[in-house]
Amino acid sequence: MTLAGPARMIRIYFGEDDRWQGQPLHQAIVEEARRQDLAGATVFRGVEGYGASSRIHRKHLLTSSDLPIMVCIVDDATKIDAFLPTLERMVFEGMIAISEVEVLRYTHRAATEPST
Amino acid sequence: MLKQGPAKKVTVYVGEDVHHHGEPLYFALLNYLFYHGVSGATVTKGVAGFGADHHLHTARILEMSENLPIKIEFVETPAKLDELLPKLLQMVGEGLVEIQDTTILKAATAIARQPAPPRATLQGKAKIMRIFIGEDDRWHGKPLYDALVESLRANDIAGVTVYRGISGYGAHRRFHKERRMSLSSDQPIMLSAIDDEAKIRAYLPILEQMVHEGLVVLSDVDVIKYTHRLEPERDDKETAS
Repeated sequence: MTLAGPARMIRIYFGEDDRWQGQPLHQAIVEEARRQDLAGATVFRGVEGYGASSRIHRKHLLTSSDLPIMVCIVDDATKIDAFLPTLERMVFEGMIAISEVEVLRYTHRAATEPST
Repeated sequence: MLKQGPAKKVTVYVGEDVHHHGEPLYFALLNYLFYHGVSGATVTKGVAGFGADHHLHTARILEMSENLPIKIEFVETPAKLDELLPKLLQMVGEGLVEIQDTTILKAATAIARQPAPPRATLQGKAKIMRIFIGEDDRWHGKPLYDALVESLRANDIAGVTVYRGISGYGAHRRFHKERRMSLSSDQPIMLSAIDDEAKIRAYLPILEQMVHEGLVVLSDVDVIKYTHRLEPERDDKETAS
């Protein structure tokens, strides 16, 4: 798989407690991205934040903490655009932002190299 | 900063248990005033009172929740009030807001702690470079993300932040996931560095030698603010007595 030059980056923001068909939404999005052969996806957990509902997501000691989650996916424009309808179906409450990026490097070691 | 002379005093009355987006309204109002640069505000809790709903609010020791009257007061210039009031009134909702003319005899003075002017400047159009690698990637025996931070700093890149992801996959299709029980977990790492395009591009040859596996992307950003404190604390003009 190669990826070079102009590409697109999607960032999806939602809460850690959001679910899709019984599994955590962030996990579902990553699996779906892999199924659609997108170049990569990374999930980040935020420390604090607020979103569309204006409720502050913050870590609480005793209650459940719905911390902010951001999923970041980079691939070429066609593949990202093809992935959007799926995303729109999965993300009920949250935000999806797209930006143009330039890929400087996208590499991996030879598959023959033993991985530990 | 307030000056000696005529000004306006605003008093807002709300109930203690009225909420605004999940937090107490008086707290939301105080935050609003604070982050809009109001010189000062005071919140006082009443002992008892009643308002538009004609319910008597008193301290009820046996009840878990109290709904005592809360009074928020602040003094500002008329110009500042014009800017603040529309949103303030919208937030207050059912509470009472009064305004009166007042005269400032002596403005409160803050201890002067003016931030030093920034030395390095980064303004306007710039580039953000995001580097996606694994936490276990190493470079000459040390974590690659540490080595990258050091090399970015050595190359005078304005700043870098390292984020640890909780899961993800990349070029090699291996799935990185948070494993609480195992000692080593190869979680995804993202570094984001911002500087002007020329400096980022000049750094790329070094980056290429260091990152053997991963993704590096570049996009446009507008730098709104890039400041830091004056470095050595003892350079402060006010010396401790």
